[in-house]
Amino acid sequence: MTVAAVLAAGLTIYALVAAVALPRLLGRASWTGRAPRLAIMVWQAACVSVVVSVLSAVFVLAVPAPVVGHGLAELFAQCAEVLAEGPGLTAATALVGVGVAGALVARLAWCAVAVLAGARAERRRHAEALTLLGRHDGALDAIVVDFDERLAYCVPGRQGKAVITTAALRDLSPDETAAVLAHERAHLRGRHHLVLAFGETFARAFPGMPLFERGRAELARLVELLADDLAARRHPRVLIASALVRLATGRAPAFTLGAGGESALARVRRLLAPAPPLGRGERVTGALAVGVLLAGPAVTGLAPGLASLLAHHCLEFLSF
Amino acid sequence: MVRGLGELESTIMDRMWSYRRPASVRDVLEDLRREREIAYTTVMTVMDKLHTKGLLRREAVGKAYIYRPVSSKEAYTADLMRESLARSGNQAATLVHFLERLTPEEADALEAALKVYPPKGRA
Repeated sequence: MTVAAVLAAGLTIYALVAAVALPRLLGRASWTGRAPRLAIMVWQAACVSVVVSVLSAVFVLAVPAPVVGHGLAELFAQCAEVLAEGPGLTAATALVGVGVAGALVARLAWCAVAVLAGARAERRRHAEALTLLGRHDGALDAIVVDFDERLAYCVPGRQGKAVITTAALRDLSPDETAAVLAHERAHLRGRHHLVLAFGETFARAFPGMPLFERGRAELARLVELLADDLAARRHPRVLIASALVRLATGRAPAFTLGAGGESALARVRRLLAPAPPLGRGERVTGALAVGVLLAGPAVTGLAPGLASLLAHHCLEFLSF
Repeated sequence: MVRGLGELESTIMDRMWSYRRPASVRDVLEDLRREREIAYTTVMTVMDKLHTKGLLRREAVGKAYIYRPVSSKEAYTADLMRESLARSGNQAATLVHFLERLTPEEADALEAALKVYPPKGRA
């Protein structure tokens, strides 16, 4: 039991430290802008890892190692009686554990459903209004809306659409328009709204947690950088940058209030003076980090069970 | 040619916006019949639906209703676009804007950044 207690404490401490330290560590890292796709995966893995480590801590405490060992042995050897012979769950700890884990998972699931369903309903409403107000331009493959503010956006979903206003079309050169629409289609094709929904779900489920709050903002930023990079495969970076500037300037007050502009300036600078992409070594390190973040807590949680399995059931396996 | 109800809604709203005066189902029907075969009940159903959706308001004149748009196309568009931009700030998964809102100072900084790299010649 002491091993389990130590592991549970370790997992809990990791969850707490990671929730506070990881956003600082990752938020300050400059490599994220050089590899937005990898950075998105690292942020998502970090969010998942904190939740899984709490679940693992509960699991380690609530389920005695021999039960896990027997459970796995049963799985491997298909031996049903083993479980009956072994020590069962202690009712009280198991109940508390299941309660905590269940509440955590239920909260996340509830928020995920609320975020996805809410966004979907809003999008459907918006798309419906667009069928009245916009017209599909076959050459651009986008919905054009008569409006005298320069706007471009996309309505994600199964039949995602890029939308652009007549004012934007008037002020952008054809090449700039193509670059903007390529950026929007990169969002649509990459299903970036699901990445945003992921960040939204964690931030909404556990408000005030630095990792999740920062994660939501970073995911939103990184998704834009990724779409810029994907658009830049076919369009000159300088055109994306100049389109950004043209769409950003000279807006009416109702469209210029609010925050979020720093990232636009950073985007322009990044488009004009791109840093070299990450080297292979750095990418491998990043991928390993994702793996450790995802698998680490779960493996730690299962460790006593695995040890028990090896200690008590190895001979059974060998005798087969 | 079979068209979706959504497209008919769109066509009828465009007509209603273009009249700039109230119109009955009969008025719209005659207008549409200049371009295609269409039944009175179809137009009536769609206009009733547009009324339910809050896009048309109507008043009874004699036995029939007279319809007019609740707001101009421009006002309706402005509402939709403003709403879409506001929503992209606080509920990001709904719509993904090319660019979030900017303050004028930030916009100036953007312009300055681009001046260093003029689009011409470098593309």
